[in-house]
Amino acid sequence: MGPPSPVRGMLLCHAGAHRLAFLAHEVLAIAAAAGEEAASARLAFRSPAGATRVLVAASGGAVGVDTLEIDAEAHPVLPAPPVAVRASGGSLRGFVLARGVLWPLMGLVEFERFLRGLGGEVA
Amino acid sequence: MAVHEPEARQSYLVFACGSSWYAVPAESAAEVVTFPELTRVPGAPAHLLGVFAHRGEVIPVVDMGLLVAGVSQSSRRAVLVRLPRGTLALTATTVAGVSPVTGALEPLGPTGVHVHLRGPAKSGPRDVAVIDPEGLFDHLSQGA
Repeated sequence: MGPPSPVRGMLLCHAGAHRLAFLAHEVLAIAAAAGEEAASARLAFRSPAGATRVLVAASGGAVGVDTLEIDAEAHPVLPAPPVAVRASGGSLRGFVLARGVLWPLMGLVEFERFLRGLGGEVA
Repeated sequence: MAVHEPEARQSYLVFACGSSWYAVPAESAAEVVTFPELTRVPGAPAHLLGVFAHRGEVIPVVDMGLLVAGVSQSSRRAVLVRLPRGTLALTATTVAGVSPVTGALEPLGPTGVHVHLRGPAKSGPRDVAVIDPEGLFDHLSQGA
């Protein structure tokens, strides 16, 4: 296994108590949850839908999260084990090691599709 | 029907999760670890408790109690099962050590995870389910 490849420019988010990361260049806009039709990231953790912020993709899809922070530092990305990739419907790209903990790095468009498949509740 | 028996020379790491005992081929059992706080995986089933980083690798932790019997067994210890395709951490409440296993290696059930648990087998006085590591890995990777 080679050394982990670094990535720079991310949004570090929480859905409830759970961590998520997205590549900043995949996010077209950040909006308030009110008035946005977004798939709540909490659904991926079997929690009731809800969000305070919405990440909007260029495709128009949107994912709702509870907190977000822009992180410009470079962080290593570790490969995701096959068991984890399958669980998240292929939307998991790896795990970012940032601030001493792992953050699941999600593809925004794929994750939004995955959430819609879980039930598609609006944040 | 031929009854498969464990290789006489093969050793197994024998461990318990709750009241159920398991045996995994010793050559696949890399180590026993106490795992740190886990990172949850989006969309994961309940038996996939989360992941942790260990020596540069992200390792998924599987609650054997939930996976096999549907009953969670709280534990921060796990047996690392290392395969060419990746590593699994299987929760353990007790680790008995490495010992031989006697008996049969027939699937313990026709479907689900029980296809990848073999027996009836014994390790000393204990009834054990012998884990087929490759089969278990496939089962978990295919959306168990």
